Amino acid sequence: MYGTQSRRDVAYEYQAQIPVLRPSIHARRANITVKFQDLYGFTVEGNVDDVNVLNEVREKVRQQGKVWWALEASKGANWYLQTHVSSTLKSSLKFSALVNAITLKRLIRKGIPPVLRPKVWFSLSGAAKKKSTVPESYYNDLSKAVEGMVTPATKQIDHDLPRTFPGHPWLDTPEGHAALRRVLVGYSFRDSDVGYCQGLNYVAALLLLVMKTEEDAFWMLAVLLENVLVNDCYTTNLSGCHVEQRVFKDLLTKKCPRHCFNEKCRIYAHLEDLEFDVSLVATEWFLCVFSKSLPSETTMRVWDILFYEGAKVLFHVALAIFKMKEDELLMTHHVGDVINVLQRTTHHLFDPDELLTVAFDKVGSMTTTTISKQRKKQEPAVMAELDQRLRRLNSVNGDDK
Amino acid sequence: MATIGHNNLNAKLVLLGDMGAGKSSLVLRFVKGQFLEFQESTIGAAFFSQTLAANDVTVKFEIWDTAGQERYHSLAPMYYRGAAAAIIVYDITSTDSFGRAKKWVQELQKQGNPNMVMALAGNKADLEDRRKVTAEEARVYAEENGLFFMETSAKTALNVNDIFHEIAKKLPRAQPAQNPAGMVLVDRPAEGSRATSCCS
Repeated sequence: MYGTQSRRDVAYEYQAQIPVLRPSIHARRANITVKFQDLYGFTVEGNVDDVNVLNEVREKVRQQGKVWWALEASKGANWYLQTHVSSTLKSSLKFSALVNAITLKRLIRKGIPPVLRPKVWFSLSGAAKKKSTVPESYYNDLSKAVEGMVTPATKQIDHDLPRTFPGHPWLDTPEGHAALRRVLVGYSFRDSDVGYCQGLNYVAALLLLVMKTEEDAFWMLAVLLENVLVNDCYTTNLSGCHVEQRVFKDLLTKKCPRHCFNEKCRIYAHLEDLEFDVSLVATEWFLCVFSKSLPSETTMRVWDILFYEGAKVLFHVALAIFKMKEDELLMTHHVGDVINVLQRTTHHLFDPDELLTVAFDKVGSMTTTTISKQRKKQEPAVMAELDQRLRRLNSVNGDDK
Repeated sequence: MATIGHNNLNAKLVLLGDMGAGKSSLVLRFVKGQFLEFQESTIGAAFFSQTLAANDVTVKFEIWDTAGQERYHSLAPMYYRGAAAAIIVYDITSTDSFGRAKKWVQELQKQGNPNMVMALAGNKADLEDRRKVTAEEARVYAEENGLFFMETSAKTALNVNDIFHEIAKKLPRAQPAQNPAGMVLVDRPAEGSRATSCCS
């Protein structure tokens, strides 16, 4: 049932060396596709170049780890927390807090080492603060209280457990399923407006892989949905998701300095001619927070920034994907070609820096305030559209009687 | 492969139906000839294309496999807009999924492309011992609503190629007019004798 890897005792040691594949020269010449495991244990298929890129990424992760350790040694283990409490510090300390804040932002954009992720994410995302407002036993009490309860949400969760990254050496084991189930079921009771929304299974699964404990994964999920992402992203009619898609389309028409004319982005106009709605692909990007589209370490790097700088990062990344392939996309003639280009691109983005450099250096800056304004602007149209749709559906169902 | 000819047809096809009914599995079987016991849940929608020859025409299907959870319903128009064909999938072991399928049919009849070829697929036909929806019930419903009906099994490949083949044969030979973005109300069934039953 759980594949050949079931019951294999898998300890997650991110620092552990995963055997490095060294394909022979023959393999290189033949451009052979190889299967390999990435940093988080996912099996990926790629060519020899992809393997090499992934090995370089591993090396960069090690180097980046050294930088973080050195900072901890010189500034103290929790130095990055001081950037957030600067307002309460004495004025004499403010300067150092500012320096730390600048250092931190730059550091985070270069990546948090996997071993430090649980600690850094938990503090900087606000999860620690959220957790501190409730009794220590909150998560355990919640898990116990909801055990054995059956709701539409729990049924859907049970259905999706074996369908969440099937084949993963830990997630796809009875132990992995049970942990994922407790996090998702617990959350479905914490926020009954969200309950369970497909997509969260992938997000929670990755959180479980990163965070040291199931409880911390739960709090990361809570902070993500309640504070980081747009409101109502996952509730009944996904209205927040619709809002984000409209904001994204708007940004895509504007954020393209190179090829613009007539105030309309050339790529957007081209895609429109092909009757390609960018939401066709971007919906999944936003709802799964890229976990289903990008390789795992690249996703984690996006999340590093997401938890520190907020949801605007998702727009940076989504725009970057289009931007990276602008020329190729302009040569497409069919919707299918567009999708193939985008999928091939996202699935092979093994080098996070390749993506993030474009996302932050070439897309242009955006602030959380401008994104919020954009969302406010789009909200009425989304609500009207969803409302109209609901009325139409009701009239459809009414005919039945 | 497809026959040589100047008759090539591109057809957008959408799969709709309840969560876990087997939409993705049907597509995977049709496009790659594979079956996975646990198919990743689809978020938003997934895209595939596959070409097949039907009679004198080569049909290239552009397939949108949509997410089944009810709240994803609000995204569906984006995928069925302008579709030439739809497969509405239910799971023969779940009466709820059959109910959902009927709702999809109603919605497409009102909002979809008026010339859309619609197929009803009773999937998981291999699970006979857990059956909750009889073939007869579905057949009657399909006939009443101008759909064609087949029971399929993505697992055993039963009728999977056949359902796509049947759709290909039924497609209007000229490209269907794209459905304008607005609301189009059409009295259905438009062309009368579309109802056929292909399940043997």
